[in-house]
Amino acid sequence: MQVREVLSSLTFRFIVKYVTVLSATVFLLLGAFYIYFSYTSFEDLGESVLEELETLQLVYRGQSLAGVEQYIEDQRALPTVHRFYYLVTNDSGVKVAGDLPVAPRYREFDDGWLGFEMALQNWGESIDVDFLARPMELGDGYQAIVARDYAGIVGRAELVFRTLFRVMIATILLGITSGFFSAAATLNRVERLNMEISRIIRSDPGQRLRVEDEKGYVRTLALVMNQMLEQMESLMQGVRRVSDNIAHDLRTPLTRMRNQLSQLRAGLEHAESGQVDRIIEECDELLASFNALLRISTLESGSRLAGGTDVELRAVLGDVVELYEPLAHERGVTLELDAPQPGVCKGEIDLLFQMFANVLDNAIKYTPEQGAIRVQLRPGLAGDGHSVVIADSGPGIPDAERKNVFRRFYRVESSRSEHPGHGLGLSLVQAIAKYHYGSVELGNNNPGLQVRIKLP
Amino acid sequence: MKILLVEDDESVGDFIVGELTAAGHQCAHEKDGEAGYKAAVDNDYDVMVIDRMLPRMDGLTLIQRLRTEGNHTPVLVLSALGDVDDRVRGLHSGADDYLVKPFSMAELLARLEVLHRRASMPVVDVRTTLQVEDLFMDLLKQQVQRQDTPISLQPREYKLLEYLMRHAGQVVTRAMLLEHVWGYHFDPQTNVIDVHVSRLRQKIDRDFDQPLLATVRGAGYRLGPAQAVG
Repeated sequence: MQVREVLSSLTFRFIVKYVTVLSATVFLLLGAFYIYFSYTSFEDLGESVLEELETLQLVYRGQSLAGVEQYIEDQRALPTVHRFYYLVTNDSGVKVAGDLPVAPRYREFDDGWLGFEMALQNWGESIDVDFLARPMELGDGYQAIVARDYAGIVGRAELVFRTLFRVMIATILLGITSGFFSAAATLNRVERLNMEISRIIRSDPGQRLRVEDEKGYVRTLALVMNQMLEQMESLMQGVRRVSDNIAHDLRTPLTRMRNQLSQLRAGLEHAESGQVDRIIEECDELLASFNALLRISTLESGSRLAGGTDVELRAVLGDVVELYEPLAHERGVTLELDAPQPGVCKGEIDLLFQMFANVLDNAIKYTPEQGAIRVQLRPGLAGDGHSVVIADSGPGIPDAERKNVFRRFYRVESSRSEHPGHGLGLSLVQAIAKYHYGSVELGNNNPGLQVRIKLP
Repeated sequence: MKILLVEDDESVGDFIVGELTAAGHQCAHEKDGEAGYKAAVDNDYDVMVIDRMLPRMDGLTLIQRLRTEGNHTPVLVLSALGDVDDRVRGLHSGADDYLVKPFSMAELLARLEVLHRRASMPVVDVRTTLQVEDLFMDLLKQQVQRQDTPISLQPREYKLLEYLMRHAGQVVTRAMLLEHVWGYHFDPQTNVIDVHVSRLRQKIDRDFDQPLLATVRGAGYRLGPAQAVG
């Protein structure tokens, strides 16, 4: 099984779609979570700043500016990096306490919130950190600003985001890989079914698929296929029965008629018997076309070649040519076999012989004196199979008629009067070729007709 | 010949019996497989003609049963099926020859004659020469001569003549020649065999007074001294 087949299989495509939709959903959900997480974190941060301002105000009310200074000193002594920063200014905007510079470049946010950036010393390194700040009147013209950095929140949010991204990549990769393998497994089962069903159709329509080995939908599929095989077999048997009945019902009385005619002829004078002979001949022709028709129906309606034996085509063609050579010679037509190498094909030798004989028979019939017929055996173009070309130098068949001549009882208008025949020869050729999984084509031999038979 | 016919279609059966009797044979007619089996076991026939599809016991089963019981009377199977498969199955089940309906009475008679002749001959044919009147064939040297004149034949002509000489005096049909000389069972659209036979006739008859190879109208050919055409 090829990778391309797996990739283009329905199961795989389904799984890829599924994984895409799933990861998009997961991404959206986690994104919502991320936004919610960031939002609540900022809210908490803001609340803590407000609380700190209230505390500061309480301290101011209780212990006035000195208490505030003391409080701020205490806070600065705490060993945490992410702590509050303060700035207290008097009514003329001069810093009286705190550890923030007097006038950092504030950005104004909604609801009186401010934001700014400031460098912090962290493990000896100076890092620019974003702060959230809020001013508040302490009283007596003093104004306090409490600020807190939100690097921690950004860091956590980034961590969450990276985690989400990695989870998504992992989901997609794992999903697609497992999709590939499960698609391959399904394809394997489908391919096994496929091979089994074509083997059954080719060889023995009486066989059934093994349902026990399959599970789920494949099992249902196998069951349905088995039902189809069942119906196909009964239809085939039905057609066979019908043609058997036709054979029994029509050919038998025909035989009787013919034989009664020959009885009648035996009792006649020589002068009259000629007429009866002609009727008997017509009767024989009728029986012959009936036989041919029945053979075509049998070949077309029944199952195709099952097994067959190895037939060496060069030998068969040699025999056909040898059989027809005297007839061709008598008509002044040269007959040539061109088969440089043998070709072995599975088939029924009598049918193949019949097929080549019919084509050659036609060729000899339609080729004028001094004409030439060439029988060619070559390996098939694609490297497998065989191609048999029988080309004559007769009048050929006009393009428009080429499809029709395979129809039963069809005869090219111009040949109707000149050449006897029942118009079934090429139909039988086609039926035999198809029975052997082959095909027949007509081509122009410039001048003449080329009959190209392809056999597997 | 004593012939047993097992055929369920009454009109066909009666007709065949009539024709065989008219040709001077003794003919018994049974209409189903069981009765045919009983008749075959109880009597001694020279040759049997059995239809492929019979009520109560299928024709092929009937033949198989007779063969497993050691009955080796030659059997010709009649069938309405023109399928190759059926012919192979027929011959596998122990039948000696196979004829597809519709057939001409001449074809049936010729084939029965050949089957009967073959059965009464020793199983191993040890002849090294064949002779029909003044025509000789040396099977070892593969040489043919008539009177004292050697006749040179193509390999296929030789096989054709050999088959005709082995069945000298019997009517040999075109289908039989195709089957045994060319080894193929098929329906030629034209009388391609006639050309081969007339070539052979040129070689063995043209320079001699008495023609040996005769065409039997509506049936086939017969090799042997000229006789009234029947």
